[in-house]
Amino acid sequence: MNQKLVNILLVEDDEVDVMNVKRAFSKNNIMNPLFVAGNGIEALEMLENQIIPLPKIIILDINMPKMNGIEFLKIMREKEKLKNISVFVMTTSNEDTDKINAYNLNVAGYILKPLSFEKFLTSVATLKNFWQLCEM
Amino acid sequence: MGNFSILLVEDRVTIIENIKGFFSENETRPTLYSATNTIDAWSMLEGFSKLNPIPKILLIDVNRTKEEGILLLNTIRNHPDLKSILVFVITDAAQETNKAAVLKLNIAGYIPTSFQSQELYYCFSVLNDYWNMIEF
Amino acid sequence: MEKSQQDCQEELAALKKEFDDFVYIVSHDIKSPMRAIANIATWIEEDLSNGLTQDVTSNFELLKNRVNRLENMMNGLLELSRVERAELEFYCVNIPKMMSSCFDLYRNNHVEFTLDTTIVTENFITLGAKFQKVILGLLDNAVRFNDKEQIKIRVTILESDDEFTIEITDNGPGIPEEVVPKIFSIFYTVNSKDVVNTTGAGLAISCKILKLVGGKLKYTAGISNGSIFTLNWPKNIILKN
Repeated sequence: MNQKLVNILLVEDDEVDVMNVKRAFSKNNIMNPLFVAGNGIEALEMLENQIIPLPKIIILDINMPKMNGIEFLKIMREKEKLKNISVFVMTTSNEDTDKINAYNLNVAGYILKPLSFEKFLTSVATLKNFWQLCEM
Repeated sequence: MGNFSILLVEDRVTIIENIKGFFSENETRPTLYSATNTIDAWSMLEGFSKLNPIPKILLIDVNRTKEEGILLLNTIRNHPDLKSILVFVITDAAQETNKAAVLKLNIAGYIPTSFQSQELYYCFSVLNDYWNMIEF
Repeated sequence: MEKSQQDCQEELAALKKEFDDFVYIVSHDIKSPMRAIANIATWIEEDLSNGLTQDVTSNFELLKNRVNRLENMMNGLLELSRVERAELEFYCVNIPKMMSSCFDLYRNNHVEFTLDTTIVTENFITLGAKFQKVILGLLDNAVRFNDKEQIKIRVTILESDDEFTIEITDNGPGIPEEVVPKIFSIFYTVNSKDVVNTTGAGLAISCKILKLVGGKLKYTAGISNGSIFTLNWPKNIILKN
């Protein structure tokens, strides 16, 4: 991943959370191109109609209007072109059912959004190190 | 987060010892099981020596286990109780013959490493941070 | 006319559903704006980092501290509501081992623990996570609210045919007699939450766990101040449903 910056798609409906991710990315010097979709339907549209270049990584919220994260993940995993993308869930939902559903749909990680920005920075730094370790 | 166990599929004793060494110095100390081949691994997942609870994480070098490793991962992905296992492929093979095949199986990470102790320690400290951040 | 049993059952099921939905809303939908407040406060503080007066800085600290408390209280509420649904795995617990690992958590707090036990059954199969949660909660209270330089905690474990009785005695300030009936209510704290950092959810959660397993938890005042919490934990737990 160091050699070439892969595209990242953030699927998130909360404006502040989007700002949060952008800010944490820039503080952690994550330069990857970041695209944003407000819910599952929007994300599918962007991916299927090639409005954005195909991302290697998706950061996915669960509780969203129109189409939630789990529904999006189900559809995505059935599409030949999209099924191999690495998905990281980032949510406030601490429900076991959400965790089980997400892992059954083979997400690479399920991350709880921490309350404080400082903790979020640390989480993003950990993610960055992990992404740099992996070949995609 | 918290308690989790790892199943390592690896036939080289020194590498197993190195990984064990890393975790023995580590505060969180996940339980580490190891299998020297895919048959043993399968019996620990769904056979005579079935582990309880099922490990959350599987580490495997598909470039050593060849087709059998890929077959194991395929079987895991199609098994209702095992499909949610997080799979990390850790390999020192230079050729990438199996990379595309395993990336199709929604593994959580494909990680090239030399297995030299310093590199291995760095790799596991990143992985360990990541495992401690995500929810299971 | 008396309601039929079936009506009651249906009503109960509807109430349970309503409660679950309510908890879900509290935990997710309310947490988002809460997190936004915490985050935006940090950003403003960062963006203004050069021109802040002492007052503004300390107000930012207060703001973040209170949002943090709000989150802890929400988590407490959520945990209370989940007592009957989460972590219901039965596994084998070795009591002395579990105790010493609980004590280990306070290694750095200079706490003097004494363990008195005559139990014959060291291993038993139980709701391990719940058992540990209750014990840890009581130990944590004994340490957290203690006002002495040298904290002393004595744990006594007795065994009968059908239960364990665990007594946790501390040398802390004890609890004023008039507020004793309130300590098991959620969010109740004897002192202001500013004095000791706590949400006041722990004992309420422990009580609910004991109701679930069919045990008991009782407070008595210690002989020379201090508190004694006595816990009765059944050897056999039968869960409804």
